[in-house]
Amino acid sequence: MLVQQLVNGLTLGLLYALIAVGYTMVYGVIGLINFAHGEVFMLGAFLCVSALGIGLPLALACALSVGACAAIGIAIDAVAYRPLRAAPRLAALITAIGMSIFLQNLALVIWGSRPRPFVREALPAFFGQTAFELYAVRVNGLQVVICLVSLALMAGLHLFIRRTRAGAAMRALAQNRVCARLMGVSVNRVISLTFALGSGLGAAAGVLTAIQYNSLTPTMGYNAGVKAFAAAVLGGVGSVPGAMLGGVILGVAETLGAGYVSSTYRDGVAYAVLIAVIVLRPAGLLGQNGAAGRDKA
Amino acid sequence: MALTDVSFDAPRDGVMGLIGPNGAGKTTLFNCIAGLYKPTGGEILFRPGHRELSVGGFRPERMTALGVSRTFQNIRLFSSLSVLDNVRIGRHCRTKAGFFGAVLRTPGQRAEEKAITGDSLARLAFVGLEAAADQPASSLCYGDQRRLEIARALAADPKLLLLDEPAAGMNPRETGALTDLIQAIVDSGVSVILIEHDMKLVMKICRSLTVLDHGELIAQGAPREIRDNPRVIEAYLGRGMAHA
Amino acid sequence: MKRLAPALWLLLAAALAYPAGPWADQYVLHVLVLVLVYMVLAMGLGVTPGFCGLLDLGFVGFYGIGAYTAGLLTLAYDLSFWVVAPLACVCGAFFGVLRGAPVLRLTGDYFAIVTFGFSELVVMVLTNEIWLTRGPLGLPGIAPVSLDFGWLSAFFRPGTPLCYEFSGEAPYFYLALAMAASVAAVLRRAKASRLGRAWLAIREDELAAASAGVDVGRCKTLAFAVSAGIGALAGAFLARWSQFLSPDMFKFWESFLVLCMVVLGGLGGIAGACAGAATLIGLGEALRALLPGLGIPVEARFLAYGLIMILIMRFRPGGLFAASARQPDCPAG
Repeated sequence: MLVQQLVNGLTLGLLYALIAVGYTMVYGVIGLINFAHGEVFMLGAFLCVSALGIGLPLALACALSVGACAAIGIAIDAVAYRPLRAAPRLAALITAIGMSIFLQNLALVIWGSRPRPFVREALPAFFGQTAFELYAVRVNGLQVVICLVSLALMAGLHLFIRRTRAGAAMRALAQNRVCARLMGVSVNRVISLTFALGSGLGAAAGVLTAIQYNSLTPTMGYNAGVKAFAAAVLGGVGSVPGAMLGGVILGVAETLGAGYVSSTYRDGVAYAVLIAVIVLRPAGLLGQNGAAGRDKA
Repeated sequence: MALTDVSFDAPRDGVMGLIGPNGAGKTTLFNCIAGLYKPTGGEILFRPGHRELSVGGFRPERMTALGVSRTFQNIRLFSSLSVLDNVRIGRHCRTKAGFFGAVLRTPGQRAEEKAITGDSLARLAFVGLEAAADQPASSLCYGDQRRLEIARALAADPKLLLLDEPAAGMNPRETGALTDLIQAIVDSGVSVILIEHDMKLVMKICRSLTVLDHGELIAQGAPREIRDNPRVIEAYLGRGMAHA
Repeated sequence: MKRLAPALWLLLAAALAYPAGPWADQYVLHVLVLVLVYMVLAMGLGVTPGFCGLLDLGFVGFYGIGAYTAGLLTLAYDLSFWVVAPLACVCGAFFGVLRGAPVLRLTGDYFAIVTFGFSELVVMVLTNEIWLTRGPLGLPGIAPVSLDFGWLSAFFRPGTPLCYEFSGEAPYFYLALAMAASVAAVLRRAKASRLGRAWLAIREDELAAASAGVDVGRCKTLAFAVSAGIGALAGAFLARWSQFLSPDMFKFWESFLVLCMVVLGGLGGIAGACAGAATLIGLGEALRALLPGLGIPVEARFLAYGLIMILIMRFRPGGLFAASARQPDCPAG
């Protein structure tokens, strides 16, 4: 039972981690919580289902959804955040909230408020079957796929940030925007790239979550967004490995908390973790910047 | 910037100059005294009255209440508030009306408000800004913003005033007026520690100088001695004087 | 403004006379009361971002705490509104301080997210602590407001019951109007005081405020208490007005709606917050009537609110009703 919970928690945690890296990357580069990130996650799920609805194969639908969400991410930045780079932070925060609400309700208008199922027929059969079983711990094909895909994406992201020129530019921007600009980094392009990557990963998480829970609602980004954000904070905002660690810890904590403590406060685990970390250790587990979240005066 | 082994006594009255090349740790020292940084070691002693207090690590508002006010190298005014309100905020720690006083407009609160306004206008007159009282602080020209910052610091009735490069970016005429203002502040019984790169101003107004370099104290004494101190010349004044 | 004054007075007189007349429509009155409640909420929320520069995403938590405090006290002890409302206020203020204490040093995003988490926790507790709140079933049957002048009768004919129980919307309208006017007066006075200046100083530059001698922690805590107390007051009114409470009434949407009102009216403005509340409730009612006809769910009106927030921040950060389109630029250091 405990091991089964751990496996379920791990799967959930990897999904959180996949969303959390989007928060973390954007925060690292422009120092803003992109509250609309949860909505990109939700749009990813809906776009994939819509693409399947017009008869596209699963792989193409996923690719389309991820690509479209990357574009949406860039658009969100260009429309909402870029004009406010020099404005007080309060203005950007309010805009971020407004953007989140706007997208959520846009989805509501387009797809309606009733929960939709995922297109089961489009899924390969092994998703639902037991992949392997060890001492009564059952892991199905979908869980294996979720783990593999999330780990592969995050490993790829890590290599991208560490090994490529564009990744170096991102890291430079996270350190010091003015200096990076002076060194010839095209700031807005790097920020766009960051939004695109983060949003693409968020969309992938959205698709996987929709398959896992077989239910899509316009508000699904709200809870997932908060939890992923909690994961990002727990791991240390700005740190990609931190987001992974935070996601897994939170996913496991939530599953265990629901299983052994109180299922009614299942969602409360994320908030409790979030508040505790922010108050006790704002830099998070793997964060380096002790001043994260405090005024950079 | 780290400070190591900096030990000195600031004079009880008059101006002490704190000089040194860029990055010597002058502003860091101010931030330690004014409570913005918490020193990891050592002691900061301040004698506001009869008793000597060890004030290292006190919060900024506590230092201000004890009688240490400061200005900032990069002016930090409340720019969308009026000039008068900026100074009134400086009176905060010398007054005490709270929320209920304000809501009920008690006689005590009204009298206090009147006193705050009067005292603040007096500080503005002292720095020569009373005519601009109702303008937003951001509308002032650069030199006047520096003067306003000084007026705000004075509003807290400091015993010690820390001025961080008050003459930076000023033209010679403005610097002359600033010199007179600092002299007037000292004459009113406030001790001043001055960080300044304008050597003419420093030599003219300071009774003693303390020189920092790389976070260490390298010399201390009267301006004349400092000018001839070989270590100082090597670290700083040598090149500075050659240009001057 | 001077030339507008007579028109404003006329409007005020019309608003005061309207509910008393036979022409008064219960729906219109209901909306007017709603506008007044949201005015109180918007003024209360406005304290934190408007005066202290901190984004509060969980204001509705205090609204809920106030409402449930008032509702439960009324149901359990049958207390009068005039006792319950101050108690709810104090309770709200207490939670405001409690929530504020650990996050005093935080700014910006982290403060926002903690406030958000707080209000979610409030809703969770209201939903799950069934022994206290009856959970999702809600609290029905809360007594309406009543005015008991029985003690007065002692002066002429002891024992005469002189109790007026509110019914219909008209008396609530006057009560809400009085509440909104007092909150506005309180905030106006606080803003123009030593404390108000300290708040604005913190909003402008926290570090400079501390260096100028402002006790930042204490002033922020006071702001949290005032803001939360006002939210709880509105909640107490709601409890006795709607006579029914459920956790659904205090979800994040409400916080967002109130925040949108504050933003629309201009951060830091008291009249602006009220104007923002009137505008958005009016817009909301209009959309509620229009949207079903277009085949769009009513909840989609938040689409408009989201858009309004983005546009206001982009083009008129000082609020829709501000004199100038842009706030004065900061001086180049």
